[in-house]
This record gives sequence, C-alpha cells and structure tokens, in this order.
Amino acid sequence: MAAAVDTNLEPRYIDVDHQVQRAMAPGSLKYWMWVLFCAFLTALGGGYRTDEVYTGLGKTGLTEPTMWAPYITNFVFWVGIAHSGTLISAILYLFRVRWRTAIYRCAETMTVFAVATAGLFPLIHLGRLWFFYFVVPYPNERFLQPDFRSPLVWDFFAIGTYLTISAVFLLTGLIPDCANAREVATGWRKTLYTIFSFGWQGTDRQWRNFQMVYLLLAGFATPLVLSVHSVVSWDFAMTQLPGWHSTIFAPYFVAGAIFSGCALVLTLIIPIRKFWRLDEMVTIWHLDNLAKIVLLTSLIVTYSYVVESFMVWYSQDALELTTFNQRYFGPQGYLFWMMVTCNCLIPLLLFSPRVRTNTVWLFIISIFVNIGMWLERFVIIAGSLATNTMPSQWRFYTPHVTEIVITVASFGWFLMNFSLFAKFMPIVSMTEMKEGISWLRQAARTSYPYRKAA
Amino acid sequence: MSEVAVISTFDNDEECAQGILALHDARIDQFRAFFPFPSERITEAIAHARSWGPSPVRYWQLFGGITGFLSAIALTFGTSWEWNLIAGGRPIISVPPYIIIMFELTILIGALSGLTGFFVHNRMPVFEPLPGYRSRFSEDKFGVVVQCDEGAAGNVESVLRNAGAADITREILAPAAEHH
Repeated sequence: MAAAVDTNLEPRYIDVDHQVQRAMAPGSLKYWMWVLFCAFLTALGGGYRTDEVYTGLGKTGLTEPTMWAPYITNFVFWVGIAHSGTLISAILYLFRVRWRTAIYRCAETMTVFAVATAGLFPLIHLGRLWFFYFVVPYPNERFLQPDFRSPLVWDFFAIGTYLTISAVFLLTGLIPDCANAREVATGWRKTLYTIFSFGWQGTDRQWRNFQMVYLLLAGFATPLVLSVHSVVSWDFAMTQLPGWHSTIFAPYFVAGAIFSGCALVLTLIIPIRKFWRLDEMVTIWHLDNLAKIVLLTSLIVTYSYVVESFMVWYSQDALELTTFNQRYFGPQGYLFWMMVTCNCLIPLLLFSPRVRTNTVWLFIISIFVNIGMWLERFVIIAGSLATNTMPSQWRFYTPHVTEIVITVASFGWFLMNFSLFAKFMPIVSMTEMKEGISWLRQAARTSYPYRKAA
Repeated sequence: MSEVAVISTFDNDEECAQGILALHDARIDQFRAFFPFPSERITEAIAHARSWGPSPVRYWQLFGGITGFLSAIALTFGTSWEWNLIAGGRPIISVPPYIIIMFELTILIGALSGLTGFFVHNRMPVFEPLPGYRSRFSEDKFGVVVQCDEGAAGNVESVLRNAGAADITREILAPAAEHH
C-alpha cells in the first residue's frame, strides 16, 4: 500500500513565486562583499591588460612556438562552459526532460556570460587591440582577403550566432517570469521588470505564440550546440600540427564542453540553493540527474582520450608519437596526469548514489572537473605547440604574472555578472516550475539516502 | 446598454479549461483567457473553442531561415568571385567550407525572424493592461474574461459559475450612451 502523502508540505503555485522572489530580495552584506571581490578581480585583470596593451605581448610568456597558450585556452574553456546551458535549456526541452526546469535558467545565464567572457579572449590575445575590427573583414574596404575556408572565419560566425541565439533564448524565457516579478516589485525594479516583460499578460494568444517561438528556438539551438564546439575544435584539427590534426576532435570537444558546463552548473547552483534557500525548488533529485550527465560525459571524454592515444599508436607516425610521448612524460607531463585524474578518475565517484546526493561532494567534484577541463585545453593547445615539427624550436610555455592575473580575472568577471543577474532576475523559471509542479511534488517525495538519514 | 467585462477567476487549470469549454458550448466566443503558465489543458480547450491551428510564428522562422541561407550563399559566393584569388591551388568557390557559414546564418536570421514574428503577432510591447487583467493571473490564478453587453452578463456569469469559477466580478468598459 502506498504511503500517505502530507499534501500540506507540497509546493503550490504561489510557493514557487515566493521562493524565487525571496532569492531576488535585496542582497545581504555578504552578497555585496562577494560581488565587490569579483569586481576587484576584474579591475585587477583590466589593469594588467592595460599594461599589456601599453607594453606589448612581450610582457607575457607568449613566445615562439607557443603563441596560443593561456588566452586561447581560456577562450576554448569558456566557450565549452557555455554548451551545457543550451543542452539543458534546448535539447532537454525538446525531449521533455522534467528535471531541467529548476536548473535551466541558471544554465542559460551561465551560457550567455560564458560566451561573453570567451569573446574577450581573442581581443585580449591581440597585440594591437585597436585593430580588432580586422577580425571582421566585411565590408571589404581594407582589401583583406575574406577567406571562408579559414576556421577562424567559421569561428567568428559560429560564436557570434551562438551568443546571439543564447541571449535571445534567455530573454524570451524571461518574459513571463519578469511579468510575474513586475506584479510584486516596487520602485526601479518594477520599471526593470516592466521593460523586460514587454507588457506580457499571459493571454491565450500570447502563450500560443510563446510556445511556438520557444519550441522553434529550441529546435534551432540544438544543432547549434553541436556545431559551435565542433567549429572551435576545427581551429585546431584543420591544421597539420601533431596533437591537433585529428578527426576525433569535434565529438571529443563537444562531449568535453557539455562535461565542463554541467560541472560548472553544479558549482554555481549548489551555493545558490544553499544561500538563497532554494532547496525546495532545486531538489536533490535535480542535482542527482545533473550529476548523472556529468558522469556520462566524463566516460565519453575518457573514451576520447583512449581513442586519441590509440590512433597515435596505431598510426606509428613518428611526429605524433613524439608529441604524445612529450605530452605524457615530457617536462609538463604532470599536467596531463592531473587532467586524467580530474576528468577520468574523480568523476567515477559519481557512480555512488550517496555521492550524487551529497551537495558537498558534488561541489568538490565539480571544481575538480573544471580544473581538469581547463588543463585539458591547455595540454592540447600549449603542449602541442611546444613540440611542433621542428625540434630546434621546441620550447615549453611558462606563464608570467600577466596571463595568470588575466585568467583569474576572467573568472571574477564571469562570476560578477552571473551573481548580479541571479540577484536581479529570476534564477529559477517560475513559469516552468509551475507547469511541472506535479514533477516537483514527486521530487519532494522522492526518498534519497540523505532524506532517510534526516 | 453598457459594455462590461465579466472577470472569472479559477483556482486551477482544469476548472479554467472547463470554463472555456462551457463558454464554447453556450456559443460565447468573445472571451480572453489569462494563465500563469502554459497549461496543456487550457491550451487544448482554447484550440477546441477557437479552432486554432499552430501559431503563424513558424512561418516567420521558416522564411527567416531561408533568407539567412540565401544571404550566406550570396556572401560566400559573391565575395569569393569578387576576390578572384587562387590560394593553394584550391577552387575559387569551395562549397564544403561555405556550408558552415550557410548553416550559421540560417540559424541566426531564422531565430531572429521568429522572435520578430512573436512580437508582431502578440502586438508586444503592450503598455496598458488588457480589460479584465488581474496581477494574480501572472502568479497563481487562472482567469477567463468575457466582453459582452450588460444584458448578457448574467448568462455569462451563470455559465462560468457552473463551470467552477471561484470568483466572478464585473467591470464596466464603456458606459451606455445617453439618450436625449
């Protein structure tokens, strides 16, 4: 016989509003200290970047043959981070996966700010920033050859489209929620929500068009997710450089992107649900499912590492063998083994349901995954460049303070924007939570090991 | 006779859907429903009452996508012809890499066009509340508002009450014209 359920404890429509609106209440002193800390990191990075522009790239450790080291690593890392947002919001929406509702807004927000952060790095990497518009050789009055065969041009189109579509998808989903927030807000916040709700009133006509445009945006965003990181991977795979020239790169990069992105969603959502008391909205059930995606993509990434290494051994190509030998056992081989530990071994803990339902463990594992995925990009980019086809040129990259500070500042910049957005906009979709309230009730009833202990 | 808005409030989507179907059965089709989330029950009831097909926004997205695709062909082929420069012995027009540009612009312009269609068909932005709108319709309540003559309002109220409306009020929209 089924156990009786106390329906008084189950969330109602209005409870969803109250909990999300509570998270949007004016920030505490701790919150503003955190934002100020992130702003300080950003400003510090800005200062070092200004100095770099003034002095030149010689300020950094970038030199032949490793001209693409931390900045392009950061670019690929942040683009990769962005991918899980669209996976969760678009692909899982098309499959009607119900657990996405509590976390997709957080993932989408992360996507937009991650792409915006990524977009800074090609500019930071430029020695002469004031010529940044050369990246866009159209209209062609400067007589630069517009080479559509170049992966860098594909990248420009792919990243530009991805940023636009991600922002459109986020803002479209926000419209009904901002209308909701508008009804209870006062002062300048009411004006803010009125602007972002575009006068939405939830009529039958409005919902009919909303559902269609949201579905179509999800349908358009789905192939985009898969294409963007494939295009980013071709920045490397289209070259002849040993360690880069590989057909496995596109699926390998896409899986890695989703892996790191889902891990960062965990890193962000776990403190949010704790400090803003959203644990009845973002339940352990949601985190458990997200952790399963992290585990799955970790296994795919591990498989990719094995296949990549196997193909090098199977080809018996001397240049490839040398590069991979240096990658495993060279002067920076420890980075590769740290990467394997973080990306392949530590996520195996997620096979345990106890770990998947423990927020402290999840938070720690997600941090390791992100360190591992940053290292993966660094090992591929800087490691392969260091051991090119001319042994006389070999030189391993050593970072200087400038790149380290700018890299740390990119996290400050991302976290500052994300924290501000999460405080002023609904970080959990009230509309979709209400739509899926029966699943939320089911989640609230689900018996997880930690609940039994409680 | 004055024109009034009969505003009925429902506690859940199931009763709201019943209210819409009851109005349709009573041949009252001049109504507007408000709901805080896209309930499948209400959507089905409205589709039945209004004989609505899918939203026309999809055509915007389709034509936007086609425009983006054609624009990408024009951009890639056009600039390559303009820059008639053979690089590495490769053909001037290299279609496979151009497919990436075509794909990206199809997605970009299609999505932006769909969004434009969404705003156009919803007549958004809206600066004034629609007749009968209540703030709780954006929160936790479901509303059905019928615009009718004051004389017919009694019948509308009775239909909605029988369908399970929790609360019914009237709002005068246009006072009756004075006769001299």
